[in-house]
Amino acid sequence: MLSPFLVLAWIAAAAAQDASAPTPPTAPQQHVKIAFVQVDGDPRYAPIRAYERIVLKAPEHPFAGAEVGINEAAPLVRLLNTDFTLDRIVAKSAADVATAVLQAADAGTHFFLIDVPADAYRPLAAAVRGRDLLLFNVSEPDDALRRGLCSAEFVHVYSSRAQLMDGLVQYVVSRKWTNLLEFQGPSPDDAAMATAFEHSVQKFGAHIVAQRKFKPGTDPRDRELNDPLLLSALNRDFDVVFVADSDFDFARTVPYHLMRPRPIMGSIDLEPTAWHWTWDHNGAPQVNSRFEKRSGGRHMEGADWAAWVAVKMIVQSALHTRSADFSTQRAFILGDGSFDGDKGLAVSVRAWDHQVRQAVLLAAPYEVVASAPIEGFLHQTNELDTLGDDQPETTCHLNR
Amino acid sequence: MNGCPMLRLAAALALVLAITPAEAKDTGLIYVSNEKSNNILVVDPKTYKIVNDIAVSRRPRDMHFNADHSKLYVACGDDDVIDVIDVATFKVVGKLVTGSSPETFAMDETRRRIYVSDEESSTLAIINMDRNIIEKEVPTGAEPEGVLVSADGKTVYVTSEVGDLVHAIDADSGYVTQDVVVGTRPRRFAATPDGKELWVSTEMAGEVYIIDRQKFVVTGKIDFLPPGMRKSDVTPVGLVMTKDGKTAYVALGHAAHVAVVDVPTRAVQGYILVGKRSWGVTLSRDEKTLYVANGLGDDITIIDTASRKAVISIPVGRVPWGIVVDD
Repeated sequence: MLSPFLVLAWIAAAAAQDASAPTPPTAPQQHVKIAFVQVDGDPRYAPIRAYERIVLKAPEHPFAGAEVGINEAAPLVRLLNTDFTLDRIVAKSAADVATAVLQAADAGTHFFLIDVPADAYRPLAAAVRGRDLLLFNVSEPDDALRRGLCSAEFVHVYSSRAQLMDGLVQYVVSRKWTNLLEFQGPSPDDAAMATAFEHSVQKFGAHIVAQRKFKPGTDPRDRELNDPLLLSALNRDFDVVFVADSDFDFARTVPYHLMRPRPIMGSIDLEPTAWHWTWDHNGAPQVNSRFEKRSGGRHMEGADWAAWVAVKMIVQSALHTRSADFSTQRAFILGDGSFDGDKGLAVSVRAWDHQVRQAVLLAAPYEVVASAPIEGFLHQTNELDTLGDDQPETTCHLNR
Repeated sequence: MNGCPMLRLAAALALVLAITPAEAKDTGLIYVSNEKSNNILVVDPKTYKIVNDIAVSRRPRDMHFNADHSKLYVACGDDDVIDVIDVATFKVVGKLVTGSSPETFAMDETRRRIYVSDEESSTLAIINMDRNIIEKEVPTGAEPEGVLVSADGKTVYVTSEVGDLVHAIDADSGYVTQDVVVGTRPRRFAATPDGKELWVSTEMAGEVYIIDRQKFVVTGKIDFLPPGMRKSDVTPVGLVMTKDGKTAYVALGHAAHVAVVDVPTRAVQGYILVGKRSWGVTLSRDEKTLYVANGLGDDITIIDTASRKAVISIPVGRVPWGIVVDD
């Protein structure tokens, strides 16, 4: 059954087509509102410093990625008789996120790009349960959000840790570099990264030679724990060192400080990412260029890609269903919709945990070394499902 | 006046031949634009040797000859110009200013116009060839790519790679008059000679969409899957149709094959192995030879269309994009 609103939308769209001659543009009849939600003082965006003054990394919120998506939609306004607007909501703290989202929802926003830390998700999921909303996770890789939380209102556009680590391990296995030495830092994020890595190692038949937990610092009494040379002093050979270090301070000391001349991956050197500014296939140079213009010269990163793709999914769902009706758009996004993420294979939403299936880029500082799924890792339905939680493995069954 | 007219004609012809360099007409020379080495390489069709190397503006991509083949126009994406090459001397003799990052274009010499898609400014620029000015910029969907002008010059068709759209633009007014939604990442066009159908390659969908030009709706699509390849590698871009409207050749990108399609039945008749990321494709005038530029193989493949077999692959510059033949 078509709802009366939908019928109206169709008529409006048809009228727009007929009035295709050079008539002056009229204001669009339909509106799709998107809100970008972030938290003030989100620790994930704190600059990473060496000592005090030198800034090693200055991560930024992926709002510019969403803006690129909105700009791309501009030529469709006339065709669809629909405009797409993007608002930015900054919640005072993680505890205020749910309230801010509900407020915007009451004012008619159905689509949200969620750029908040993992601990804000549980109260948010509880607050939006059963509502006609779709919340796109654009920056959080936490596997727990895709497993334990398992919320139907979310679409995880950002790669999960499981996807990222599977991509990384596929590559080393394809090169037959299967003896891996693991360095793990003290933070919960490091532990989560290490867990995902160990799972991937087991999944693809590699082998961890030794697991070493490092302790950041320069204390000579702890040198067995803070010096990569001593940490890698094993009587067994290894092919690659994997480093899980979200603080980055230790990771940056690992290259050229190992006992053996070996490559490094994980938090430095060969990093699995959702996007990289040097990716130059599948139309990526044009997206990178549009992004750099929009953001004032910043390189496009994984979260920017996710924000861009989230907006693209919203816009394309309106285009391909010729509708600005939320439930029609949601059905397309969660169902048959497949989208061009400029990473080769088309991206789409997994029915079981609402993770977006996507390629993982394995990036060295100035070159994408490979794009996973690596050739040869096969799957019975979609090779992108060799990365991350496949249906038989997951604990989240939103499609049942 | 004495002498027979035939003799006088022959004499006149001899004179013409004497003053026109041999390379200027029907030479069969193959021109390849190389995106990353910023040059056009000229390949001899008989010896398969590179006989000329023309330095052009940065990132040369689409190329077209004018009607008498005296000039070759080359869109150069990183310098925002179309270089004009004098075919007789192999020299760049002029530049037409375009919008940001020109990719492909079409020429209408009757109206003295060039229609060029400017990938980064998301517009179709209408350029006056004689005055070297942009007369109008028509807003399109993001990343416009393929451009085709109707035979009567009244309609210009443009694809939007990001918008999944084909626009029909009224050439006189410079407005988009119709849009049709096609598969993901539409790239290039071929038109059936009867003027009824428009064929559009959709790179990410891995298909060719067929548009009825009268009704401006999608009336069909063609799938491809060369033996031993994965569907995800099938990324069709370049396509070309024979003059009798019977056969189309579609370059399948990362699938490293060219598909041969029977146009009336829309059935794929076979696949020809070429190089990696084959995009640019063109036919010789007698349609006995097909030329394919392999973007990620840094070479071109020459195919005998009768036997549907590759004759030879020739190394060219870095990232060959377009290929045209002077015949």
